[in-house]
Amino acid sequence: MSRIGVFLCYCGSNIAGTVDVEAVAEMARTLPGVVYVETNKYTCSDPGQEGVKNAIIEKGIDRVVVGPCSPRMHEPTWRKLLADTPVNPYMLEVANLREQCSWVHKDKAIATEKAKDLVKMAVAKVARLSPLHSTEIPVHKKALVIGGGIAGMQTALDIADAGFKVTIVERETSLGGKMVMLDKTFPTMDCSACICTPKMSEVGNHPNITVKSYSEVESVSGYIGNFEVTIREKAKYIDYTKCTGCGACETKCPSKVINEFEQGMSKRTAIYKMFPQAVPSKPVIDAEHCRMLQEGKCGVCAKVCPTGAINYQDEDKLTTETYGAIVFATGYKLIDWKPLYPEYGGGKYPDVITGLQFERLVNASGPTEGHILRPSDNKEPKSVVIIKCVGSRDPNKGKAYCSRACCMYSAKHAHQYLDKVPDGRCYVFYMDVRTPGKGYDEFYMNTVHDGAQYLRGRVSKIYKEGDKLICKGEDTLTSQQVTVAADMVVLETAMVPADGIDELAAKFTVGRDADGWLVEAHAKLRPVETNTAGIYLAGTAQGPKDIPDSVCQAGAAASKVIGLLNKDKLESNPQISRVNEALCQGDGACANICPYGAISIVEKQFRENSRKVTRPVAQVNPGLCQGCGACTVTCRAGAMDLMGYTNESIMREVDALCQW
Amino acid sequence: MSAQEIIRARAKELLESGEIATFIGWEAGRFTNQTTPLVITDAADAGKLVFNEYCANTLAKYVTDVLARGKVGLVVRGCDSRAIVRLINDKVIKREDVYLVGVGCPGMKDRKTDEPLKKCTECRHNNPLVFDEMAGENAEKAVPEDRFAEVKEVEAMTAAERTRYFESIYAKCIRCYACRDVCPCCTCRECFVDQRRENWVGKQNNVAENRFYGLTRVMHIGDRCIECGECERVCPMDLPLMKLNRKVIQDMNDLFGEFESGLVISAEPSVLTTYELTDREEFM
Repeated sequence: MSRIGVFLCYCGSNIAGTVDVEAVAEMARTLPGVVYVETNKYTCSDPGQEGVKNAIIEKGIDRVVVGPCSPRMHEPTWRKLLADTPVNPYMLEVANLREQCSWVHKDKAIATEKAKDLVKMAVAKVARLSPLHSTEIPVHKKALVIGGGIAGMQTALDIADAGFKVTIVERETSLGGKMVMLDKTFPTMDCSACICTPKMSEVGNHPNITVKSYSEVESVSGYIGNFEVTIREKAKYIDYTKCTGCGACETKCPSKVINEFEQGMSKRTAIYKMFPQAVPSKPVIDAEHCRMLQEGKCGVCAKVCPTGAINYQDEDKLTTETYGAIVFATGYKLIDWKPLYPEYGGGKYPDVITGLQFERLVNASGPTEGHILRPSDNKEPKSVVIIKCVGSRDPNKGKAYCSRACCMYSAKHAHQYLDKVPDGRCYVFYMDVRTPGKGYDEFYMNTVHDGAQYLRGRVSKIYKEGDKLICKGEDTLTSQQVTVAADMVVLETAMVPADGIDELAAKFTVGRDADGWLVEAHAKLRPVETNTAGIYLAGTAQGPKDIPDSVCQAGAAASKVIGLLNKDKLESNPQISRVNEALCQGDGACANICPYGAISIVEKQFRENSRKVTRPVAQVNPGLCQGCGACTVTCRAGAMDLMGYTNESIMREVDALCQW
Repeated sequence: MSAQEIIRARAKELLESGEIATFIGWEAGRFTNQTTPLVITDAADAGKLVFNEYCANTLAKYVTDVLARGKVGLVVRGCDSRAIVRLINDKVIKREDVYLVGVGCPGMKDRKTDEPLKKCTECRHNNPLVFDEMAGENAEKAVPEDRFAEVKEVEAMTAAERTRYFESIYAKCIRCYACRDVCPCCTCRECFVDQRRENWVGKQNNVAENRFYGLTRVMHIGDRCIECGECERVCPMDLPLMKLNRKVIQDMNDLFGEFESGLVISAEPSVLTTYELTDREEFM
């Protein structure tokens, strides 16, 4: 017979204000198996905990029910307490009398009845629990950062500076991400490249950092402390051990291709470096557009290369390594506004450009060398319309969320335009101006003082008249129709998750929200962790952010990784699934449903009805299992059981609730 | 040669050659309009095998009972073959455990009324889908147009009417578990109703427990039911069990696209245990 101790908490007046704790205690004394009941003003306080410990020893208690706040809050406290007593830390059940009872009810009589039910259930369940024991799992002291933008680089640098090895996987040919495309950064107007490229070279030269550019994650298996990741390094067709990055090949290549880095506003060669300050500072061959690789004729780059670094036979390389922690810094892209906004021309007017195109136009190393010239005829636009929230805050066409950075960079664009074209006029159509940040509102007000005309309303139509783009909208502050004849229109488009994040997140079993952003473990208290242990988030992979926020989050993610890698061993969670092989049919429903790939089907030998039989059964990898319980509800035969939440114990809880 | 003659001849040859250890077919019953399943191990018994319009039982599930003796030969029609596919896909048996003699099925008759069996009028695949050899030709049979007509009748009821309707059904159920025992999809090594430690469902015979059994049964075979209709045929209380099965199949069609279980041997996981990015999830 079990000897159950029940410890009920007043939580000051938090619980006692709405629940008659003494009445619940009185009822608990009558429950089968309960040998001791105690109430306490604050059970979690030091004297409270001491009382629980003493009672356990004195009364010979072997299972414990506590009736305080949510187990999310204090379950670790109770487990730690039990670890100091002869009772196994998993012979514990928490009846949540605060969050699930006193806080959500007003009527004391009803809340007390419910509290009694909760305690009854907990007692019924704890009577069926069995002791569980953790094991130790090793930690590989190496981190993988996916994405080499500002968030990824900052995370890698912080981890590497703490003395751990880091690998950055970047699918583009250079580090830098979106930040290196920007011209200047608000609100201080320092040049983006000037603060980003030193970081890139710091990453490139750091003894603890390995940069895998032009590479993608192929597959992943394993678990916290032990992720086995295979990385595909795409064929670069250039031997980086020989290449000096002199650039002779680029000057001679005859193929001309649209330049993605310049947002399609100039051409590049087929053998190319993304931009002059690229890290690694060596080119790759774009196989799709290389005459040699496509048609077998040309080979000019090989002829001019002074070190013989060109290798047309190069192939993708796969490497597999084990990492202790993984950080997603996969970033964002801009929403494809063209199919969504036919009223803005849907892309047929070359002078309707995106904010990122404007960044390149105004950048000294951009296609126009920093002169603001409109794409159609290279004339300086004398009147520019900036439209905010294109795709953001527009649930009907784009996304319901606010992209957070656009208010500030549209103010920056207006400021930069008015600075470079002093006789120009700039109109900003906005829904709201959101400037919560240090020095942000001051920056916005400066732009207004510069002469930017802010008009509150959306533009409903853009059409061409002569060489002017006529923008029709409404100024909702004066309720008047507004028509602006613009030379150029800049659309500040929404941030959306980077391409391929769906597949990548599925590979790593990282959750995504309805808009595709990666989901943090807790919106407030665990903002850089994911629900998969050992996987963290940095930057815009988690949601729209500006640079300061991305860098902050990168540092936070790095500190979590450092905390993990500092440990030599982790304690495993013993609340994982177990297979009852006698019941298991081996049909693999559990293996299919398992989000962590923790279950495999193996052939095993059994002696059944005096015969040897070999049949398939499920096997759980205790390192991978996160104890989510999906398999237990999928198995029709009930062959899967979650330790600490066994089918039997849950059924007894239900029985306790349904008693009359 | 008639199908029956071929079946007898092949059963004899297969048993004699030692290729199979047992053969499962039907034998004549006491009356001419009656047959019972027959398991033979001796080639000399092959002459007892019959195939006529009263072969109501599906045979596949008997394989699990006799497999311990060695490879099993059996006669398969459409329904038997789908049941075999189900057993293979559910890893209960392997394809090489069975030798399948296919036979075209024109539909069977109800021995009480001499009318076509209800399950046969609803059948969409009367000819075997998997077989090692055919005894004779495929048979022609009309394919019913709407397999969900019965479901629509229930859906048309008001909530109160439906409650009464299902209560009347489960008040009659005697929990004999014949529907489970005959079902080729019910192949758990221990059925949930027998798991006394968990005690998922009480042993009492009352509407609540009976309904819990019935609904759990239908959910457990939701992505597996091959629509053979055997559960309904064997029910001693004449409960319309296929209505519930088809309701779940209709929902499966609606949620995951056109779905029919047991048509092909495949290692592909069931749609209920996989996740596609395109899956509907309006409940989220």
